[in-house]
Amino acid sequence: MSDKTKETLDKTAASRRRFLQAGLAGGAVLAGASAARAAGDPLITEIQDWNRYLGDGVDAAPYGTPSEFEAHVVRRDVPWLTADPVSSVNFTPLHELDGIITPNGLCFERHHGGTAIINPAEHRLMINGLVDTPLVFTMQDLMRFPRENRVYFLECAANSGMEWRGSQLNGCQFTHGMVHCVAYTGVPLKYLLEEAGVKTNGKWVLAEGADASAMTRSIPIEKALDDCLVAFKMNGEALRPEQGYPVRLVVPGWEGNMWVKWLRRLEVGDEPWAQREETSKYTDLLENGKARRHTWQMEVKSVITSPSPQAPITHGRGPTVISGLAWSGGGRIKRVDVSLDGGRNWQEARVDGPSLPKALHRFYYDFNWDGSELMLQSRAVDEDGYIQPTKNELRAARGMNSIYHNNGIQTWYVKADGVVENVEVS
Amino acid sequence: MLKFLKAGLLATGFVAAANAAYAADAGEGEKVFRKCAACHSVGEDAKSRVGPQLNDVFGRQAGTVDKFKYSAAMVAAGEAGVVWDEQTLTQFLVKPRDFVSGTKMAFAGLRKSADVANVIEYLKTFDSDLAGTVGQEESSGEEVQTAMAEEAPPAAAQDHAPDHDGAFGLGRVATEDEIAAWDIDVRPDGLGLPVGKGTVADGEVLFTDNCAVCHGDFGEGVGRWPVLAGGQDTLTDSRPVKTIGSYWPYLSTVYDYVKRAMPFGNARSLSDDDVYAITAYLLYLNDVVDDEEFELSNENFEDIHLPNEGNFIPDDRFEEAHYAKKDEPCMTDCKPAPVTITMRAQVLDVTPDTDDDSAGGQID
Repeated sequence: MSDKTKETLDKTAASRRRFLQAGLAGGAVLAGASAARAAGDPLITEIQDWNRYLGDGVDAAPYGTPSEFEAHVVRRDVPWLTADPVSSVNFTPLHELDGIITPNGLCFERHHGGTAIINPAEHRLMINGLVDTPLVFTMQDLMRFPRENRVYFLECAANSGMEWRGSQLNGCQFTHGMVHCVAYTGVPLKYLLEEAGVKTNGKWVLAEGADASAMTRSIPIEKALDDCLVAFKMNGEALRPEQGYPVRLVVPGWEGNMWVKWLRRLEVGDEPWAQREETSKYTDLLENGKARRHTWQMEVKSVITSPSPQAPITHGRGPTVISGLAWSGGGRIKRVDVSLDGGRNWQEARVDGPSLPKALHRFYYDFNWDGSELMLQSRAVDEDGYIQPTKNELRAARGMNSIYHNNGIQTWYVKADGVVENVEVS
Repeated sequence: MLKFLKAGLLATGFVAAANAAYAADAGEGEKVFRKCAACHSVGEDAKSRVGPQLNDVFGRQAGTVDKFKYSAAMVAAGEAGVVWDEQTLTQFLVKPRDFVSGTKMAFAGLRKSADVANVIEYLKTFDSDLAGTVGQEESSGEEVQTAMAEEAPPAAAQDHAPDHDGAFGLGRVATEDEIAAWDIDVRPDGLGLPVGKGTVADGEVLFTDNCAVCHGDFGEGVGRWPVLAGGQDTLTDSRPVKTIGSYWPYLSTVYDYVKRAMPFGNARSLSDDDVYAITAYLLYLNDVVDDEEFELSNENFEDIHLPNEGNFIPDDRFEEAHYAKKDEPCMTDCKPAPVTITMRAQVLDVTPDTDDDSAGGQID
């Protein structure tokens, strides 16, 4: 190779690098260059079946379903986790989703006695206990109260619970998929309680489900009268059976177990009930053998959903989108930072879309991947100023046996070939 | 798919018809099957779970449902010629472990011969060859539909006539019987406890029949079903065993939960006295009482305290060091270089679709 040729090549390379840095323009030039060399992409030069033959009519799918090419976008479960699928959990495929709203059919499921199938005409909601008048409502009655529409995340307190001892599951669906975010339509719980008339010594509300586990949780009256909803729609349509059809409780920002599904009874009392799900479960065992109870609020948390182990980088170096979710039971997310080097250096990410209190926030970090190994992390800060802690900070404070409320910073290790693994770092 | 739909309607039709049946009754069998449903499934989406799925069981060689991990004993029984039919199922269901010694089905057996006959009749409705032979006559889907329509409330709106003083006047006043039917919760201070009693000895029999299939004869837990006894002094161990005796703060929770949700798949089937007896037996298994003649009742319930009651503390998460600082987070050179990997999920790869079952962890 002559010096002159080498000089020309170097210039070309330098100029190409500049194009690459310019982002999209670089991609366009490369694609254009390779296409020009061949006769052309047959997907363009040849007429395709879908371009020639007619598709299905409007009567083919009275209730539409996703494209057949999206068949891999499904909830998945972890069979070894529980004794039986009837009292178990499956996980939202976060790595395949974008924006802040979770599609109804992909919202993770957690129930303790299977999905109850209830005809709304046969459903009743009772309010009893320390009230002036114990009442029974039909679904029709509930629909006559003034309604509100609110977007909230719901996170299981045990989300990321399998990662307390260290990285275990290779997929953001499994490590973080016990969360979803839905637009609810419902009646403020306050209206129903006021209709019955809460007595002055009424300090707690017991919510009870109509399913085979008759799920129960005690909720302090301040929360019940604040922002709780009795919801019958999710994302505009009726609740899905597995999400509590015909009616569920919405307890914004607090652990998902309290959002009692198939809601059939609200009892007002002067003390909490110490039910199974607030004593033997959903209490956080600390290293000294003491256990925290009534740990209701979900703390500030974030995770990069793509790239992640189930969503590797397949396009090689160049313009790359990091996409992720952040949320806090304390309210809005103030900002999200992203690190490419395992938490040594951070850059502020771009939050896009609505920023609603106690809802998922979508963030992006757009950068030019040079093909080197990455240790991706995200770190959220909420409107109260709480900063998402590292997993080791949580372990130092709580030990390894808390199960619940693991909101530690997640690390994804991206290798040079774009494959991603769940790791922990120094 | 259609055949199970028909079978379902048929079973429903039977309950509705609920008449003649001197012989086996699939509708009654459906109720009996609730005892089985914790482990076995039938119908359109039946899958093998703790036990094999039971569609088309008649004429099937024992131990041959695809992909189900049987005991060696069950496979051997099938190879020795055991084929499921009314006779072999009857023998098996009366005393499973007598008929196939070494079966991993932990269920003790059905005591009443009527229950055995009825559940076999019910299983026939999920058999593509036998479904048509159940009962005298298939009731049509239309009949069922009509019956439901007649029970539905009248479509015409009634005038709004409030029976209470609420701001909206919506809903109606709940009756005492309605409240009693649903308000079964029991609090640590004893509020909600019904009048009743039961002994450790009674509880042992009830526990063996209703609970041991999942929780083990001594509350030790079968598979990943909850361990109910033992685990004392393990809460600071690396693998704590959280049981009624080692972790639960209040006995009222045991009574409340057993009454509302147990046995799994047949909730609300135990009497108040049964629940007192089972609760007494659980106290015995956890060494809280040591006398088999001990009788637990609403009178002495409040005298019993569980060992771990004092070890629950309020939520103080936001006082933890990492939350207390609340200043602007570090942006550059936040930790020494180079950052190294200290743990990889690949090492213990328990992500679904891998075959390793060495996984650990729990969701609640």
